[in-house]
Amino acid sequence: MSEARVSSEQQAADKALLEHLESRLAGGLEPEIEPRAYSHEEVLEVVGRLQKLDSNDYDAKLVVGGFTLEPYGVGEDEQACDTCMYYQVHREFCELPELMLPVGPKWSCRLWRI
Amino acid sequence: MANLLWLQGGACSGNTMSFLNAEEPSACDLVTDFGINVLWHPSLGMELGDNLQQMLRDCISGKIKLDIFVFEGTVVQAPDGTGEWNRFAGRPMKDWVRELSDVADFVVGLGDCATWGGIPATAPNPTDSVGLQFLKRDHGGFLGKGFTSKAGLPVINVPGCPCHPDWVTQILVGVATGHAGDLTLDEFQRPKTFFQSFTQTGCTRNMHFAYKVSATEFGQRKGCLFYDLGCRGPMTHSPCNRILWNRQSSKTRAGMPCMGCTEPEFPFFDLAPGTVFKTQTVMGVPKDLPEGVDKKGYVKLTGAAKAAAPEWAEQDIFVV
Ligand code: SF4
Ligand code: SF4
Repeated sequence: MSEARVSSEQQAADKALLEHLESRLAGGLEPEIEPRAYSHEEVLEVVGRLQKLDSNDYDAKLVVGGFTLEPYGVGEDEQACDTCMYYQVHREFCELPELMLPVGPKWSCRLWRI
Repeated sequence: MANLLWLQGGACSGNTMSFLNAEEPSACDLVTDFGINVLWHPSLGMELGDNLQQMLRDCISGKIKLDIFVFEGTVVQAPDGTGEWNRFAGRPMKDWVRELSDVADFVVGLGDCATWGGIPATAPNPTDSVGLQFLKRDHGGFLGKGFTSKAGLPVINVPGCPCHPDWVTQILVGVATGHAGDLTLDEFQRPKTFFQSFTQTGCTRNMHFAYKVSATEFGQRKGCLFYDLGCRGPMTHSPCNRILWNRQSSKTRAGMPCMGCTEPEFPFFDLAPGTVFKTQTVMGVPKDLPEGVDKKGYVKLTGAAKAAAPEWAEQDIFVV
């Protein structure tokens, strides 16, 4: 949860990590894009796996979270970070407690919810 | 002077506790200032055994005029429709309820159990519980759809789990002082003065609702509880953020989602695992949208609202 305005140091760190994550996703990492975590059981399963990860193990977070660099779905059913409840627009950051990482507005993951 | 009789069926006494906690007016003020004569109440009544039975019979015969009959709790019908699982004063409670309702000028159902069955009537409803005139959304309940009390009103339903002390006392004062005619009831027979607006009306998180900023943990000061934590504030008719609890707060003000306890379906989804304090979704979109909003509109609004959200909306502005 963000408590106060994001410092310039934090902004720089976010930017560096975002670029790193983007390069990992573009560079052949194979996230579990499907099945999507729609049901309660599916959400618990994915979140449970995320909880067991080291908070700095970003490759594993991207894989288990099912990240993509473009939205999942199209039109009315598009699932992009910038409409997700966990997305902070100004920080460009996902604040789902189990993820807590910078994300691009048009990225997506299988825990998306609006 | 208005005679009031209060009985309790399948219940936890929560509404009695609420009533006894009333402050303005208090339970005592009802007697001293508003002319309400409490004939009997489960926590306050003096009569026991034969004396109580006689008093109830005198109400039914008309020897004692019964102005207001308040019922808290479900009408228990098990086993096999006999009501023997809830005996009171020598017979099934349901038999007292029927006969007392027939002679009372006004019948008031207090709390979810008396209004629509509440928690006891949750599937599989082992006690065969019903509310006075509803079972969940189905009109009828124990007294039947067409029931009206002697004053010509159906059961006045004051739901909640429990209901707020002020809802009880204000309705009782209104009825006892001859203002029942001013009451307008909604389709579920709830007084509109309390139940026309939503829990969300007056919620301090409305700006976070508008900008689609979500709370992700209980008790978090920032964010709205609708998106993730199952808040039913936009769909629930109650004045919880207009008439505050303990004159101080409300669930949502304290960072706790509204559970929709004034609505007939409460407890929602029959308390199935994963349904409590968790927004139910279909492909990531909330199953229950704010009243009057459709999915298409909701998705569009969310995109626009998030894009327009100012930076402060994403921060904790309640700095100590
Ligand atoms: S939870 Fe939402 S904001 Fe976070 S990565 Fe997934 S889609 Fe993006
Ligand atoms: S916390 Fe609940 S009542 Fe308050 S604004 Fe959000 S949805 Fe509405």
